Amino acid sequence: MTDSKREGHRPATDNVVEARNLTKRYRGGVLAVQGLDLTVRRGEVYGFLGPNGAGKSTTLRMLAGLSRPTAGHASVAGASPGTPQSLARVGVLIEAPAFWPYLSGRDNLRLLARYCRLPDRRVGVVLEEVEMSDRANRPVGNYSTGMKQRLGVAAALLKDPELLILDEPTSGLDPQGMAEFRELITRLGQGQRTVLLSSHLLDEVEQVCTRVGVINRGRMVAEGNLDEIRGGTRIVIRAEPAAKALAVLVELLGDRVEVGPDGAFILRVESDRTAEITQRLVSAGVGVTEVRSVERSLEDVFMELTGRESGA
Amino acid sequence: MTIAAFRGEWFKLVRRPAIWITAGLLVALVVVVGYLITYLVATHPPQGAHQAGADIAALRAGLYPAALVRKSLDNASTLDGIFALIVGVLAQGSEYSWQTLKTANTQLPGRIALLIGRMLAVSVLMLLLVLSIFALDGLVAYLLALADGASAALPPASEILKGIGADWLIFEVMAMLGFGLATLFRQSAMAIGLGLAYSLLVENLLFGLLESLGTAFKQIHDLLPIANANHLQQSFGQVSSVVGFTVVSSGEIDVARAVLVLVAWTAVLAVGSAALTRFRDIT
Repeated sequence: MTDSKREGHRPATDNVVEARNLTKRYRGGVLAVQGLDLTVRRGEVYGFLGPNGAGKSTTLRMLAGLSRPTAGHASVAGASPGTPQSLARVGVLIEAPAFWPYLSGRDNLRLLARYCRLPDRRVGVVLEEVEMSDRANRPVGNYSTGMKQRLGVAAALLKDPELLILDEPTSGLDPQGMAEFRELITRLGQGQRTVLLSSHLLDEVEQVCTRVGVINRGRMVAEGNLDEIRGGTRIVIRAEPAAKALAVLVELLGDRVEVGPDGAFILRVESDRTAEITQRLVSAGVGVTEVRSVERSLEDVFMELTGRESGA
Repeated sequence: MTIAAFRGEWFKLVRRPAIWITAGLLVALVVVVGYLITYLVATHPPQGAHQAGADIAALRAGLYPAALVRKSLDNASTLDGIFALIVGVLAQGSEYSWQTLKTANTQLPGRIALLIGRMLAVSVLMLLLVLSIFALDGLVAYLLALADGASAALPPASEILKGIGADWLIFEVMAMLGFGLATLFRQSAMAIGLGLAYSLLVENLLFGLLESLGTAFKQIHDLLPIANANHLQQSFGQVSSVVGFTVVSSGEIDVARAVLVLVAWTAVLAVGSAALTRFRDIT
């Protein structure tokens, strides 16, 4: 599908995925997803984070139309999930890629191209894109995990979709395979294409995503761009006498001052205020012994959010 | 969308070795059981067996082209039908085993279009199998007639067409039985096991015994698919018994009713599969 054709189908909204109050209760009463709100904007690489069993795959299965929500609703590429209108514009790789093992990689894609009424030449294009052209004529039953993952991405790209939904695409890959895959996802997310990527690998998300949502026990516990999620930078200061230092800092910054367990002052302000704060402390007769700027890692935030929520 | 789905389903069905192995076995058995064994019995009657000369002659005549339709339908609801059932199971059950339903259902056609496409592909395959059986039977019958110096005249074309239609309908209902069971159980093994148990034990053995207990059982049996497949094949002439299978005698045969019941079962199994596919989550 060409860009101009895709353009013609685009909805007025700039949100490619909108889910509201999405809920999934399985038979037997297990509540996998509860009241989930999710928004993915056009052109972004959205990281959907959560520990194992948090409800990521269930959510993505609902967005792909494979599962039906028990409550709530979603719009994916401007239509209900699973409808031909939505499927035409969405490429999906959910959990481990599944293919017909007696067919070659190329024939698997040719089969999918027939489903979508796409010409066979499209198969060659996507095989090139995932660097699988030279290995595509072997039966899929003989493929390694990495080759299957690549073929899975090729299958998801076949329709030249405006939205790619990738569920833990680096799962089962060795470190080199993971690095190559991250490069691939970054490349795929360039331009107008939107990528919704689920993962429990924080460094992966940190490297490739522009915005993230964190899900735990079926609920969205945080959503925003990486800086928002991490809560911006912090300045850590050690100063004596501590009481006088605290008074000066509170007067200057109010409730943005915390005292750490080791007695250091943690200031939730941007690092460009370091000079101003140090000068005020020195002017007040406080001796400053250490000043440093720190950035919370996504892992810190993730552990805080999912650990606290799960009672860990 | 259904045409696109059919093209995809046909693409993968005809490239699947298991389908060709099953079809090849069926065609080989049709020739071996239907012709070669019968021909051996007719030309070399077992010692001690009481075989009147007229019966041997009739057995031999049943192998010539004039009896093509009757002979090709001989084992339609039993031996051939079981192979059709296995093909139906393979076409649908493996999609669950390989988890390829999620791959297919995240492409364009949509769930129901994809399912209809798969059913159509199986139907076309069933027709090709029936045509292959008729063609091979015709060839073997012609060669046997030639060897015996007997007439090689075929039955009227209308009779052959009716026979092909009847055989196709029987294959279709058996394939849909396998397809429906695979959809219900979301796997192949249980579907094949239960399909075989139903075909061989429930309808042919259990109901055969129950019918002797009262007419109510006979009336119920007359609504079931394999009984009606038997009725339909018997309408083309008395079938010969096959080792291992008991062919139920139906007395007066109402062909139209048998066709109607088989069409109804095919429709029920197709709609049932569609309903399960429509409302269940894809795993």
